[in-house]
Amino acid sequence: MSARRRLRNLLLVLIGLLYAASIPWYRTTGETPALWLGLPDWVAVALGCYAAAAVLNAVAWWLTDVSDAPDASEDREGAS
Amino acid sequence: MSLEYLGVAGLAVYLVALLVVAELARRARRDQSPADHFLAGRDLGVFVLFLTLYATAYSGNSLLGYPGEAYRRGFSWIMATGFMLSIVVCFHALVPRLRPIAVAHAFVTPGDWVRHRFAGEPGARALLAGVSVLMTLALANFLFAQLKAMGEMADQVTGGVVSYEFGVFGLALVILVYETVGGMRAVAWTDAAQGVLMLLGLAALLNWVLGASGGLELMTTQILEIRPAAALVPDARECANWVSTIGLLGLASIVYPQAIQRIYAARSGPVLKRSLAMMSFMPLATTAVVTLIGLAAIPRFADLGAAEADRVMPLLLGEWAAASPLYAVAAVAVFIGALAAIMSTADSVLLSLGSLVAEDLLGRPRDDASTTALGKKVAAWTMLAMACGAMFREITLWRLIELKMELLIQCVPAFLLAIHWRGLRARPTFAGLVAGAAVAIVGVLAGWKRIGGVHIGMLSLCLNLAIAVAGSIWARPRRSEPVRPSAGLG
Repeated sequence: MSARRRLRNLLLVLIGLLYAASIPWYRTTGETPALWLGLPDWVAVALGCYAAAAVLNAVAWWLTDVSDAPDASEDREGAS
Repeated sequence: MSLEYLGVAGLAVYLVALLVVAELARRARRDQSPADHFLAGRDLGVFVLFLTLYATAYSGNSLLGYPGEAYRRGFSWIMATGFMLSIVVCFHALVPRLRPIAVAHAFVTPGDWVRHRFAGEPGARALLAGVSVLMTLALANFLFAQLKAMGEMADQVTGGVVSYEFGVFGLALVILVYETVGGMRAVAWTDAAQGVLMLLGLAALLNWVLGASGGLELMTTQILEIRPAAALVPDARECANWVSTIGLLGLASIVYPQAIQRIYAARSGPVLKRSLAMMSFMPLATTAVVTLIGLAAIPRFADLGAAEADRVMPLLLGEWAAASPLYAVAAVAVFIGALAAIMSTADSVLLSLGSLVAEDLLGRPRDDASTTALGKKVAAWTMLAMACGAMFREITLWRLIELKMELLIQCVPAFLLAIHWRGLRARPTFAGLVAGAAVAIVGVLAGWKRIGGVHIGMLSLCLNLAIAVAGSIWARPRRSEPVRPSAGLG
């Protein structure tokens, strides 16, 4: 696997972790939140995670090889 | 001039501009083939592809449904930013593999992939029919939601000068004309203009809403006083729903027929990936913004009912316009931008629906001009039927999206699993699709929208996948059996 592809996969894993952190499952239900940047803290965390995930996802797309060459894909497709 | 008449004048100018674009697109067409009509000759560049993806993904649901849902559910609706982003993330699993196959085999519709992948297998025709039926139902549902949103928007912002009924039927007719005349080229070009209008309009509206609310901090403090549950840390059920919604939207959206057709329509693979990279930022620029707009409405309109909450956006536009004549002009620009977003989604859905029914359901050839003509007829009749259905106003937009997704997500194994796993067979995939769709439909009809916060569509997808995988493993040839020749694909 090329370094480029490994980096892309690493970014996708990081995006998954950011998604897990964006959901406040680890907080106490019904807790009154502190305000961060004018938002409830758990909302600011979620928004921060999504902003970071957006940047990582854009980089991951930049590293993705989307080929138009049929022979490269036919070997990999789940058919043939 | 009052907002009502400014709105009518702005709308008239916009509609004329759409018809001019349609005529330009008609002149730019190369032939009458389905590939030219439904995929713009497979020649969409980065900028137009990005904006058409954007305007198609962000629709009436985003602009009316999402602020309404933020108003109803409170800050936990920030999940919408996550699930809109999850669509662009989930495309990583489909685009790099589907695109080269689609180019090699000149795909036009989503069904072309199913036909190609499962060719020669027992159950392949049934699977193609099943996928096509579910996609058609989901598209019809989606179109219905857009028409409803068009009527609401026209009625509210023109103060009834353009009635809900005229908004639905009149704008439906305009869409039908420019889509029929200009095909995907007209749709993509108008989408590009609509996308720019929508972005500018939302930025201006957010600026005003936050200014008028005294800033984010004051808005949040007021929400904590008026409706504390909207800002407190959500419970386990809401968190489960958050995960489920991200899964449901992320997975189901990548099998949107109109999204799949844009994968086919890109000028090249690199163009497609650059457009998708840019799309990563649109949930922050759009979904987060409309969520904040919906939240800002909580202190301003205390007692809206469930269906009324979908009118949060037009109500805010009305207040904004009343603040000053300059704001009235800006509000009209936002109104046109919002309406543009809704129409751009409706036109894409309609175009996709016509091709899907003509080629995948009725079996017309993909390289014949008669398929294009039939697709146009299907689009016209479907538009008429859905416009009549849209006269029922009391269904919330978010509920409509969920219904659509619960059906559409059952197509995921036939695309995502099939493209990654050679062992997947047509017959068990069809059985899984039928079982998953049946459970989803029964669940929705019985009122089991979610179980423990998890959507019935996600649960039925698990059943669907289990049947498809177990059945495919069971159907694998034993060592003692002769190996069937590879399924003559392509």
